[in-house]
Amino acid sequence: MSKSRGLLDDVRTTIARREIASLSREKTIVLALLIQLFIAAFSSFLVVGLTSLYDPSSVEGEGIRVGVSGDVQQDLNETAREVDGVTAVEYDTQDGALSSFDRGEVDAVLVANRTANGSRIDVTAIAPEENLRTTLVVVKIRELLTEFERTERDRRSVDLSFQPIELPEDADASPYFGFTYTVLIPLLLFLPPFISGSVSVDAVTEEIERGTLELLRVAPVSLVDIIDGKALGMALLAPAQALLWIFLLSLNNIAVSNVLPILVFVTAIATVVVVLGVVLGLATARRRQAQLLYSVLVILLFGLAIFLPEHPATTVAKLAVDSATLGTYAHVVGFSVGAALLYAGARRYASSIDVESL
Amino acid sequence: MRPRKLLRIARWEVTKNAGGVDKRTLAVAGLAIALIAVLAPAVAAQGAVLDEGIYRVAVDEDSRYYDVVEENPTFVARPDATREDLGESVDLYIEDGYVSPAASPKGRAAKEELRSAVQAYNNEQLRQEANQSAAFPVSVSLEYREQSQAGGTLATDGEDPQQVRDPDNRSDNRTGDGTPVDGNGSNATDGTDGTDGTDGTDGTNGTDGTDGTDGTAGAPNSGGLGGAGSAISGDGDSVDSPSQLSPPFPFESLVLAFVFIIPMNFLIQAYGSTILSERLNRRGELLLVSPVSRYEIIGGKTLPYFAGAMAIEAVIAVGLTYVGTGTIGGLVSIAAILPLVALFLAATFVGAMFARSFKELTFVTVTITVGLTSYAFVPAIFTDVTPIALISPLTVVVRDLQGQAVAAPEFLFSVTPPLLSAIVLFGLGAGLYREEDMFAQRAIPLKVLDALAGPVRKRWHVGAMVAVLLPFVFVLQLLAIAVLFALGEVSIPLLLVVVAVVEEIAKSLPVYAAYAHKRFERSTVSALVLGAIAGAGFFVGEKITQLAQLVGLPELAQGQAALQIAPTDVGAPILIALFFLPLLLHGVTAAISAVGASRGKRAYVVALGVAMLVHLVYNLAVLSEVLGNV
Repeated sequence: MSKSRGLLDDVRTTIARREIASLSREKTIVLALLIQLFIAAFSSFLVVGLTSLYDPSSVEGEGIRVGVSGDVQQDLNETAREVDGVTAVEYDTQDGALSSFDRGEVDAVLVANRTANGSRIDVTAIAPEENLRTTLVVVKIRELLTEFERTERDRRSVDLSFQPIELPEDADASPYFGFTYTVLIPLLLFLPPFISGSVSVDAVTEEIERGTLELLRVAPVSLVDIIDGKALGMALLAPAQALLWIFLLSLNNIAVSNVLPILVFVTAIATVVVVLGVVLGLATARRRQAQLLYSVLVILLFGLAIFLPEHPATTVAKLAVDSATLGTYAHVVGFSVGAALLYAGARRYASSIDVESL
Repeated sequence: MRPRKLLRIARWEVTKNAGGVDKRTLAVAGLAIALIAVLAPAVAAQGAVLDEGIYRVAVDEDSRYYDVVEENPTFVARPDATREDLGESVDLYIEDGYVSPAASPKGRAAKEELRSAVQAYNNEQLRQEANQSAAFPVSVSLEYREQSQAGGTLATDGEDPQQVRDPDNRSDNRTGDGTPVDGNGSNATDGTDGTDGTDGTDGTNGTDGTDGTDGTAGAPNSGGLGGAGSAISGDGDSVDSPSQLSPPFPFESLVLAFVFIIPMNFLIQAYGSTILSERLNRRGELLLVSPVSRYEIIGGKTLPYFAGAMAIEAVIAVGLTYVGTGTIGGLVSIAAILPLVALFLAATFVGAMFARSFKELTFVTVTITVGLTSYAFVPAIFTDVTPIALISPLTVVVRDLQGQAVAAPEFLFSVTPPLLSAIVLFGLGAGLYREEDMFAQRAIPLKVLDALAGPVRKRWHVGAMVAVLLPFVFVLQLLAIAVLFALGEVSIPLLLVVVAVVEEIAKSLPVYAAYAHKRFERSTVSALVLGAIAGAGFFVGEKITQLAQLVGLPELAQGQAALQIAPTDVGAPILIALFFLPLLLHGVTAAISAVGASRGKRAYVVALGVAMLVHLVYNLAVLSEVLGNV
């Protein structure tokens, strides 16, 4: 009989539904999604924008032109031919190179001379100041000179006991790959739980501060039911949003692996922070205190997580990029068990509270 | 405003637990913050290994790459994997010194990562060589110099404000450039720095002259923060291996920015709660009916938070200055951060006046945090690159902390818009601090209209209200410049769209609010008059944007597009026309939207769209005219 009553008739699901409905009625959920989208777009903009400053392919035409002079200018010029996006122009004199630089005919000037005893080469590199291209120019100069250093080092290899390992050739990889999986995806997946926790603080303290908890008590529900309902709504909202982000990422050709373990993990994290929020709400009964403590404690917990064998952000990254190890899955299971235990503890705490005292 | 009453409310706010926080909470929060401070260095170190174990590499233990893979936390070595596992359980397969990646983006990224890991490993090993000149045969000193004929995006000399990025044109100019220009000493070196390298004019010996450059040119500036100084300021760099060269990316300034912004986020949580809790259960009614004005109430409730925030920021600024330079200072930083603090509080105040529930307040606070953080943050990224950075007051802070002087006009340019915005926000919020709005459950858009229509009694008030909104318009446009500017030439049309949208909304919303509150009769004639007034109000206020010219923002093509600054090299009649054309434009577009506003919501939305379109077309026409003149 009790089974056939179904989940939907349960008072707890009713409260959970009402919680979510109130979010959608106030359209705050839309605001929440917009904020998350903005943060994602913002951080992507930062990385994409900054990387494009470094990225040679973002510069139209022939790349950068470098004026070279000094007594090893020929060697430099030969090296430049092997480096993409750099054209070297030899100048007889440093002044000639500099006046070309001043007229904007070359983007940078390298003056390379042997030191007095001939053991080293001193390069004075001149790059344009206060210019968007500066970053790119410096990156290109670095590439050119690093290559140059390698050739010069090869010539002196008899004096070295360690022979440098050969570099694998350029792989033409997306410069955003690492960022996407280690920063963007964890960020997108952790924001919903943290917001859920913060909202659950509000859900509890608002009932208390407005005095509407009294009204709920007249209805045939216990405080534990109320807490169950509120926590359920908030904890489930997080994985739903996570799923949305994963879907949106896949539209952008960013494949996320291990979707199910990720969702379980996000749910576990959400449960932990929602429990924190609810307990703080009940313990302080005031939003101001509870929110302050919540935000400080969440940051603290996130920091303390570095003492775990694997940071939760790394767990998400490894799951998403499909490099999960046994330890990663153990982490997911551990968090789920821990979250369940915490939740049980929170229910016990709620049942021990005298509602009259709130 | 009577200071005594204000201070009494402020004292209540702190002591009577009307808004304060009890001792238990303070103790727990203090303990947690102390723990975070202790943890911070460890967490910062962890940040670098966020990508721990991301790439799996099949490599034999006797391979030379094995040590590289072992030492770098990004990789996991899988010595037992075979070639068949490539793309399945490993991302790179190394055999006989040859690296094959899996045929996937991940494989390629892994290979790229291995490349830089090998480079770092090589350098580390070479550091231990006895013969350092053989290990690092090339030393570099990097200097930055101005190019007088800058071909890039910026014309730093201010002679030629219309210069835009045009790489194609530039490469055309020097097609026959295979033969290098001969050095005939055409006063190219403009003496910006003290290098002695220029004496090697004959270019053949030069060996003795250049030895000294190492010390003089690339000396890290002394005012920097620790060893990172040269990297922050971009003044120059002197390294003994080219791989250590770093482009002028002010990473440290970003960290500094966060240090200043983070305390604000906690503070506005508490401040928002205190304001909203006044509105719960009509609690604030007691204060409202007492013989104090609402400005005294608001001032009293805000003062403790403002003072607290400024105290925290002052400690941070003085502390960082002391750590960085060893002297007591940071006054400029404190002054620059003040408008930002005010803006945070003002936005939270309005948010708390708008929010209907705690949940809504949470989202509003997060929005404020995100929005203002990016406003403070994005421009500061470009601290060393362009004047665009000065949009954010944080840039002033970063420069001050580095011991660089900040000129008064730059300072004003940076702090005026946020300060004015904060004042306007408090003013609008104060308009809502009354019984009808505080204790009623009204939708946010209606409250926005309430706030805008509140002080409007006469027609010219609409114009004043439009002018008052200008700081927002300015801040939004500046933010748009900062965000879009990295995109290059595409950003200009996008900016024009942003400009048209933002300006038209600012001009028409007060008119619409006035109509929604039945302040004026709904006739076409009255709408046209109101529109003209709104347009004129906007025009007068807009002349404030001439402020921008003080720091050279107009030299940026994007700055021009957004601010519509007239070129200076045309005749007087055209100049006058260009001066008054915007007045015509603002009058016309505001009249269009005003007529719509007088006929209800739907007509308003349509008319607003039309007005935006007209504005956009005008901007495009003017821009192409201005650019065409060059």
